[in-house]
Amino acid sequence: MSLIEIKDLKVHYPIRSGFWNRVTDSVRAVDGVSFNIEAGETYGLVGESGSGKSTTGKSVVGLEKVTSGSIMYKGLDITKAENRRKLDYNHDVQMIFQDSLSSLNPRKRIEDIIAEPLRNFEHLNKDDEKLRVLQLLNIVGLDADALYKYPHQFSGGQRQRIGVARAVATNPKLIIADEPVSALDLSVQAQVLNFMKKIQREFGISYLFISHDLGVVRHMCNNIAIMNRGRLVEIGTRDDIYNHPLHIYTKRLLAAIPETDVNAREAHRASRLAVEAVYREQQSKYYDEHGEAYPLVQVTPTHAVALPQNVAQQLARQEGEVQA
Amino acid sequence: MAENFERHSDISAADLARLTQEAQAEATPSTAKIIWSEFKADKPAMAALIIIVGFILFVMIGALFINTPKMMETNIMGYFNQPFTADYWLGADSAGRSVAKQLIVGSRNSIGIAIGLTVISSTFGICWGLISGYFNGYIDWGMQRIYDFMMMLPMTMMIIVLVTIIPHYNSVTLTFIFSIFYWEGTSRLIRSRTLAESEKDYVAASKASGTSHWKIIFREIMPNISSLIIVDCTLSFAENIGVETGLSYLGFGLPSQTPSLGTMIANANDPNNITQYWWTWLPAALEIIILCLSISYVGQVLRRAADASQRQGALD
Repeated sequence: MSLIEIKDLKVHYPIRSGFWNRVTDSVRAVDGVSFNIEAGETYGLVGESGSGKSTTGKSVVGLEKVTSGSIMYKGLDITKAENRRKLDYNHDVQMIFQDSLSSLNPRKRIEDIIAEPLRNFEHLNKDDEKLRVLQLLNIVGLDADALYKYPHQFSGGQRQRIGVARAVATNPKLIIADEPVSALDLSVQAQVLNFMKKIQREFGISYLFISHDLGVVRHMCNNIAIMNRGRLVEIGTRDDIYNHPLHIYTKRLLAAIPETDVNAREAHRASRLAVEAVYREQQSKYYDEHGEAYPLVQVTPTHAVALPQNVAQQLARQEGEVQA
Repeated sequence: MAENFERHSDISAADLARLTQEAQAEATPSTAKIIWSEFKADKPAMAALIIIVGFILFVMIGALFINTPKMMETNIMGYFNQPFTADYWLGADSAGRSVAKQLIVGSRNSIGIAIGLTVISSTFGICWGLISGYFNGYIDWGMQRIYDFMMMLPMTMMIIVLVTIIPHYNSVTLTFIFSIFYWEGTSRLIRSRTLAESEKDYVAASKASGTSHWKIIFREIMPNISSLIIVDCTLSFAENIGVETGLSYLGFGLPSQTPSLGTMIANANDPNNITQYWWTWLPAALEIIILCLSISYVGQVLRRAADASQRQGALD
């Protein structure tokens, strides 16, 4: 059984207008998303800005009001607040935020910030709590003298590691990492990502890794879901997505990964332009008449793509994959 | 679970005392220390603080030694006595009552009302604004309609009517009557900041850490708008001294047998008093000016202490 099963998740925001301020339409931020996260794995959720990936992540932590659909954890639907309370859900599912500065309360000392989930869920005595905080700081590679400082006294990378320490404090089973490194420079990105991997090995945590950076996702994730306009367009293993992409949106994202090989610059440019040309010409083939993605169809046991059945099979043949 | 952390970190219980000590040596100074160093860096504010504290202590203690009913008795021999004499340090008014003694008791009454009013109305206004802004939605809608209704009432007129209806009122009831009408400004100000503040990630992080709504409101959001609260409280304290004074001046504040800064300034109603008997109203007017200025100086220091980028103190 999977750790978490997300089924047909929808988050719609109403648009009000007119004299009576009635609901006339809705923004479909997340529109029918289903996937499962296994224990101990890192699941990548990739997509452009506004594709609904953060909203999905927030729904999984319980921060977003879900319109319909279910998120099953230990046999209960945690989109309902009373089920979250019953399970002490946030003891097991925590979150790392994108903006490390605004996600740490500027008026609280580091000790109080990291101890917050401990105080709510574990009720340790004072010395045990302080010891746990010191151990957490040590695990993320910070010194003990950080204990009584404030968040603004740290660098971006250090702050993000404090955020990681807070998320790990209760030894959760799943951590939602919402673009945890996109605000950091490259050397610090690697540092934080390696800490996250180390913690995953040591504590057996699953990550839902939300990112728009396919390079980072490749480094972190076993399974990847590609999201576009509130829907999933492709699900697969790392190999499926990077070596046999089927949907044009995935291909565009892959083409957008910057290459540092100066000699092959012209070739990369040509391949990017080729993908873009395909997208322009064949948009109607990949999206339905409303410009939305089709429902997912299975191509191989691990690989699914949002295309009509016949198109998917034809593309899969071209890619030389085994039929499901 | 705890073993899990023991295994992956090289810190054990034995290191706790040593590491705590190390951390304390590096600790950022506490808020009280920061405020004190701000006062030390700003001499006029330090003077203002001494004036306020000294003066409030002086009138509070001094008023205990004055027999108010006896003081307020008419003494025809002291009719407009000149100031700086042995019996009347600051002269006497038309009823021959000592201005100096009236000033002490009156200040006690006026400042007491201002403090009481600030505490009650600000506490209520802050809670109202925080709750309304944090919960948003229907709760906010309902609370804001009550606010709109209260704003619509003509405040001064309502107070005058209430004061007339209530037969025996004193400074305590007057404080409560004022408090009904003076929380709105604070609440709207706090609500607007709370709306912005509760969208921030640290609030989401607290929710994800399982912290309750009330704890988030009062332990997470309130400290973050504390600079706004401090400035608003000091300003409204200065303003509230004026509220009582203004109404007493109009004759609807404290009863005439209870001296206050307002009743003393009301002496200036008479053009004769303004020109010839200046000692009947000038001390009270000067006192209000000095107090309000000092309070705003202190408020500025508190605001600077709450905002790291504005600090002038030596501590970092």
